[in-house]
Amino acid sequence: MIAATVRRWSAWSPGLEDADAWSNWCTAPTELVSEGRPEARFLPAMLRRRCGSLSRIMLTAAFDCCEEAEISEVATVFASRHGNINESIDLLDRLAERQPLSPTVFSHTVHNAQAGLFSIAAANRRASSSIAAQQDSFACGYLEALTLLERDPDRPVLLVVGDVPLAPTFAPLVEEPAGSYGLGLLLARDGEGTELAFGRHAGADEPEAARWPDAIEFLRWYLSGESSLVLGSARRPWKWERLQ
Amino acid sequence: MSAANVIRPGEHSKASCSLAALGIVNALGRGPEEIWPRLLAADQGHFCRRDDLVPDRDLLVAAVSGSLPEIPSRLKRYACRNNALLMAALQQIEKPIADIIDAVGRSRVAVVIGSSTSGVSDAEAAIRHQHETGELAKAFYYDQLEFGGASSFVSDLLRLDGPSYAISTACSSGARALATARSLLALDVCDAVIAGASDSLCGLTANGFSSLQVVSDEITNPLSIHRKGMTLGEGAAVFLVTRDSGGIQLRGVGESTEAHHMSAPDPEGCGAEQAMRDALKDAALEPAQIAYLNLHGTGTPLNDAMECAAIDRVFSNSPPCSSTKGLVGHILGGAGAVEAAFCWLILSERISGNLDLIPHAFDGQLDPALPPLRLVPSEGLRVPAGPVMTNSFGFGGNNCTLILEATS
Repeated sequence: MIAATVRRWSAWSPGLEDADAWSNWCTAPTELVSEGRPEARFLPAMLRRRCGSLSRIMLTAAFDCCEEAEISEVATVFASRHGNINESIDLLDRLAERQPLSPTVFSHTVHNAQAGLFSIAAANRRASSSIAAQQDSFACGYLEALTLLERDPDRPVLLVVGDVPLAPTFAPLVEEPAGSYGLGLLLARDGEGTELAFGRHAGADEPEAARWPDAIEFLRWYLSGESSLVLGSARRPWKWERLQ
Repeated sequence: MSAANVIRPGEHSKASCSLAALGIVNALGRGPEEIWPRLLAADQGHFCRRDDLVPDRDLLVAAVSGSLPEIPSRLKRYACRNNALLMAALQQIEKPIADIIDAVGRSRVAVVIGSSTSGVSDAEAAIRHQHETGELAKAFYYDQLEFGGASSFVSDLLRLDGPSYAISTACSSGARALATARSLLALDVCDAVIAGASDSLCGLTANGFSSLQVVSDEITNPLSIHRKGMTLGEGAAVFLVTRDSGGIQLRGVGESTEAHHMSAPDPEGCGAEQAMRDALKDAALEPAQIAYLNLHGTGTPLNDAMECAAIDRVFSNSPPCSSTKGLVGHILGGAGAVEAAFCWLILSERISGNLDLIPHAFDGQLDPALPPLRLVPSEGLRVPAGPVMTNSFGFGGNNCTLILEATS
C-alpha cells in the first residue's frame, strides 16, 4: 500500500458548509441536497460570473483546504465523474439547432475547467491533473494525487473531488447517490496530519453499496475514527487504513 | 498494518519505464509500418473537407478514413467513434498485451487514457435525434459520452481489473497519461499500464474552436508568416508501458500550469518554458543533449510565438524541431500521445546510431518575427541518436513536456 498524510480537509454541500456542520452530519447522515451553490466570494467578480455550480463548489473546497501561503504552491488534482457535461449538453442542444457556440462557454466546458479557474484564481502555476473514472472517480483521483506526489515528493497535492447532478437529458441513464458536493484533501508525503495507507483491497468482503458519493463516504470514515475503509466495486476494491 | 508493506511516494522515482509497444491510428494510416514512411515524406495528402461539422463551413480536417473495428456487442454501451479508434490502436499490440497479462495477471495491468472529446460525436447524434423525435437515440448510453467511459472501455475490452481512469486536461491529456503511467509503475500499484489517448472529430470541438477563431481554412501552417490557425485531426495512440529497463524509455516529465487564461497561452511562454526545464531536470539532461523536439506547433499565431520564445530561452542552440500538425492535424486530447508516438517511431527506426527526423510541414515562409528555431527541412535530417522531447500545451493553461530515449 502507499502511505500519504492528509494534512487538512474541507467539504461543501448545500447546507453543509463548514467542518462543524459535517461533524454533526456524520452522527446522523442524511441524503445530500442537490440544489444550491456557495457564494465563493474569494473569487474576483469576473471569474465568479463564469463559474457554474460545480466550479463554485470545487473551488470553495479547494480554497477552504489551503492556507494562504499554500494556495499558489500546491500541485492539484481535480476529479469529477461528470465534470461540466451539463454545460456541454447545453452546447450540444445549440448544435442540434445549428446555433453558434459562445467561445467563452466552450472554453469553460473542458473537463479541466475547474483546474484552469483554480490556477488563475490562486495564481498557481504548479502541476495539475483532471481525471474521471465513472463510479471510481474518487479513488482514482486519490491515486492520481499520489502519482503527483511520486514525481515531486516534497510538494503537497491538493485533491479536489466534486460533482453536481446530471441534467434531466441524461440523468435517467445513470444510477448514483444524490446530491451536489465537493471535497478537498491536502495530501503530503509526511508531516502534521493523519497518515493513511491506500491500495487495492485484498480481502474477500465486497464493498457495500454506497449511499453517498464515495468522496463523502470517505469523509464519514475519516471523521469516524474507524481503522479502515473499503470502497469501489468487487472488481476494483480500494482500501484506506489509518497508520497511526 | 506493518510499515514494511507500505511504500512512500518518491521512494522509487528513478524506476525505469519502458514504452514497450505502440498501436497508432490517425489520418496518415494505421500502424507504424504505414505511418512512418508518410511522416518521413511529410505527406500532406490526407486532409479532407467536411461540411457536416460546422454550419455553412466546409471545414478542412485530418480525418481517419475507412471503417473502424466494430465494438463487441457485450460492450455496446461504449460503442462510439472515439473508442473504435482506441480499439484500432489496441488491436495492433494484442500479442504483447496478451503476453503481459499472462505474466503479471489481470489485476496488475492498469489503464490510463487521455481524451478531450470522449464519445461526444455520438452524443451529438443522440441529441439531434432527441430534437427530432423527443427521445434520445436508443443506441445511446451515457458511458459513450463520459470521460471515464474511454478507460472503462479499454479495461473491459481487455478484461483488465487494475486501476483504470481517464485524464482530460485538454490538449495535454495524452502526454499526461504517459506521465501517470510511469508514476503508477513507480508506486507499484501495477506491473504494466495500457496508456495513451484518443480524440475524434466532432461538432463540439469543431464549432468551439471555430468560435474562438483559431481554425484555419487551409492546412495548418505552423511558424509560417502566413499561419492562420489550426487544423483539427483525430486518432489514437496507445502504448504498453512496463518497468523494463531496455527499449525506449520515458525518461523525463515536466508539467506546469499558467494562471493566465482559460483559452489562450501566456504570450511570454513562461508555462511552456517551465515544462521543458522541468522535463530536462527530471531526465538529468542538459538542453544541448536533446536530439529532436516535436513542437506543440498548432499554427495559431499565439501558440507558435510563445512556444518559439520559450524554446529560445531554454536552448541556447535550438535542437532540430518540427511540428507534425501539418501532417495529422491537431488531435487535441490525443495529440500528446500521438506525438510521443512519433518520437517513439523516430527512436525505434534509428539506423546505426542515427535518427531520421520528421520534416516540419509548412509553406517554407518562416515568420521573421519568431525567434529562429532549427526546423527539420522538407528533405528530412539525419542526426546522431540522443534523447527526444515533445511539447503539449492545453486549454486552461495545462502544459506537459516529455522526453523519450532509446537505450543502446
